[in-house]
Amino acid sequence: MRTNWASATAIALLLCLSSAAHAEEVTAWRLFISDHAEPKVTVIDAVDGGKLDTFRIKGPASLHRSESGRTVFAVQGAAGVVTGIASGISFEDHGEHGDIDVEAPKLAGVEIAGGKPSHFVEHNGDFAAFFDGEGAARIISEKAVLEGKSDFREMKTDAPQHGVAVAYGSYVLLSEPNREKPDELPVGIRVADEAGAQVGGFHACPDLHGEASSGNVLAFACATGLLVVTHGDGTPAIRHLPYPHSLPHGKTTTLTGGRGLQYFLGNFGADKVVLIDPTVESDAFRLISLPTRRVHFAVDPVRAKFAYVFTEDGQLHQLDVVKGEIANSLKLTDPYSMDGHWSDPRPRVAVAGDRIVVTDPLRGVLHLVDATSFEKTGDIAVEGKPFNIVSVGGSGQTHEGE
Amino acid sequence: MSRMLKLAAAASVVTLLPVTFSVAAAENLKVVASFSIIADFAKNVGGDRVDIATLVGPNGDAHVYEPKPADAAEVGSADVVLVNGLQFEGFLQRLVEASATKAPVVELTKGGEVLRNTEEEDHHEDKAAAGKEGHAGEADEGHEEGHHHHGESDPHAWQSVHNAEVYVKNIADAFCAADKAGCDTYRLNAESYGEQLEALEEEIKATIAEVPEDKRMIITSHDAFGYFEHEYGIKFLAPEGVSTESEASAADVAALIKQIRQDKASAIFVENVTNPRLIEQIASETGLKVGGELYSDALSDENGPAATYIEMMRHNITVIKGAIVGS
Ligand SMILES: [Zn+2]
Repeated sequence: MRTNWASATAIALLLCLSSAAHAEEVTAWRLFISDHAEPKVTVIDAVDGGKLDTFRIKGPASLHRSESGRTVFAVQGAAGVVTGIASGISFEDHGEHGDIDVEAPKLAGVEIAGGKPSHFVEHNGDFAAFFDGEGAARIISEKAVLEGKSDFREMKTDAPQHGVAVAYGSYVLLSEPNREKPDELPVGIRVADEAGAQVGGFHACPDLHGEASSGNVLAFACATGLLVVTHGDGTPAIRHLPYPHSLPHGKTTTLTGGRGLQYFLGNFGADKVVLIDPTVESDAFRLISLPTRRVHFAVDPVRAKFAYVFTEDGQLHQLDVVKGEIANSLKLTDPYSMDGHWSDPRPRVAVAGDRIVVTDPLRGVLHLVDATSFEKTGDIAVEGKPFNIVSVGGSGQTHEGE
Repeated sequence: MSRMLKLAAAASVVTLLPVTFSVAAAENLKVVASFSIIADFAKNVGGDRVDIATLVGPNGDAHVYEPKPADAAEVGSADVVLVNGLQFEGFLQRLVEASATKAPVVELTKGGEVLRNTEEEDHHEDKAAAGKEGHAGEADEGHEEGHHHHGESDPHAWQSVHNAEVYVKNIADAFCAADKAGCDTYRLNAESYGEQLEALEEEIKATIAEVPEDKRMIITSHDAFGYFEHEYGIKFLAPEGVSTESEASAADVAALIKQIRQDKASAIFVENVTNPRLIEQIASETGLKVGGELYSDALSDENGPAATYIEMMRHNITVIKGAIVGS
């Protein structure tokens, strides 16, 4: 959460200057990059472009960063393991100012093994890794990961599925496998209590795929609309927000949540994205057409007004989520066709403070774009095929003598 | 007054927004109010010369509100943005940045009597006391951070009617600056509404006078009534601090229950913006009966008992008095 505030609070900064005479303002950003073919995670200092470390893991990984930024997870589907990495950057919120602590990144010493891990979801400091091959979720807290303890609990569903679980306070939301067609996507969500007993009814969500949080709202994408989860009176409150008839035929299968502003951004068909306000009943969906098919998208955690979409023609688009339109476009790479397998090497986008970083796996570089001017400012070479990327960091105070 | 004249007058004053304003001048003044109570003040001052959009609506909790892209669009096209300030709207800076608005963002507590958040220290004492009973522990730490988060001033300044008059004056000033042609109207409206506020204040004082002095300690969910306490002499205690953002810790609740028993609180109330469960739990543990619902940080909807600020304050004193001495 710190990134929301890091560069935002001018008032807080003034207070810092007056109250902490010996404090020094420090900015640190790190990029964690997985490789499309090699079992490794490269860590790069986003401020000076230097390589900090390379961690050997068991297989090619997709990456997730925790909300606090203290932990990065490498989900290695084919190798059947989830590896925890301590990012080395942490913040302590003192209200009037935030302290930053910067240490070397390291493997946290936590590995969670199981069949085909895929979707990985954090909710309030609890991580749920779903193992498709087993139809089971393993849940661990950030605290345990940072202490190097593999203390996870397990929740099982009825069958293997390309599923998802969310640890929601003292409840767990679990996807329901499609019993008639086991190879297809889950059909809905059930809520279980800590003992595994079902709470409330079944929440239908055909073709469930894609989940995200924005502020205090969690959402799952379905063929019919969104399942929107909020804190109810004790138990999670779940309602279905249908796609309006005004939308063309299509569905969302990838979802991300706004930071600083509350909204969801999803794909809708191959060459459109949709902005969703989960709190309203009408006009919840705004459809935005892209020039070509979408490769990846990400929200800007600092400049809440913007999200970024990369398309197969090699362009990065700056999406104004307030106006609901593309504000700027920038050609960054050679074309990356969406023909071929969904998991082929293609660019991914992350935001590190004032920079947008785009991986270019076939050229082995990261492209750096200034988030304010939306102009390309440089490249960082990375060995291999840099693929998935997450960023961690922010600004804070360090105090002398501590 | 003709539209042309209004436009000319405005353009000479509001040099910062020539473009926005030349469009808006032919129309009503576009006002965004951060929450329902401010919207009501603005309605009373602006009358039919203003169109008001409210970000955090009836029964909404501004402390934890998460702004939407639509809110940013609203702020972006506003002529005047009215906010409480004192870090009440935790979302304000992100929203204003995202909106790229050129409208003045007016903090209505400016020039009012602002209370320091002394409850914070009370809570720490409570915690120390609870700690001796074995409740101290790591669970407290997060809460303590939460407390520090909200700055040093208590933002709930509208709970003093005297401060409400300052809000109203600030609104009239802001409207005059943005729409000079309407200034006389705004001043007149503010004056007549100010008279209603003064009458309200007398009414509150008279009602409180009927409550015996040794029965003037009551419980609510969060520290929203510091100004009411300061002005009108009812002591309010609450498990949560000046923001609802951080939940009360078990130690806070234990300390409060102890204090309720020791000091003999007279009544306990739920608030319209917070979950009643914690209050119901404290009520059952202390044997206090929940005396009703107070409107702390938001008005009710149109059909509720607190659809305007004046109705809200009347409703609150009526409910408080009713619970302590019977109506
Ligand atoms: Zn409040």
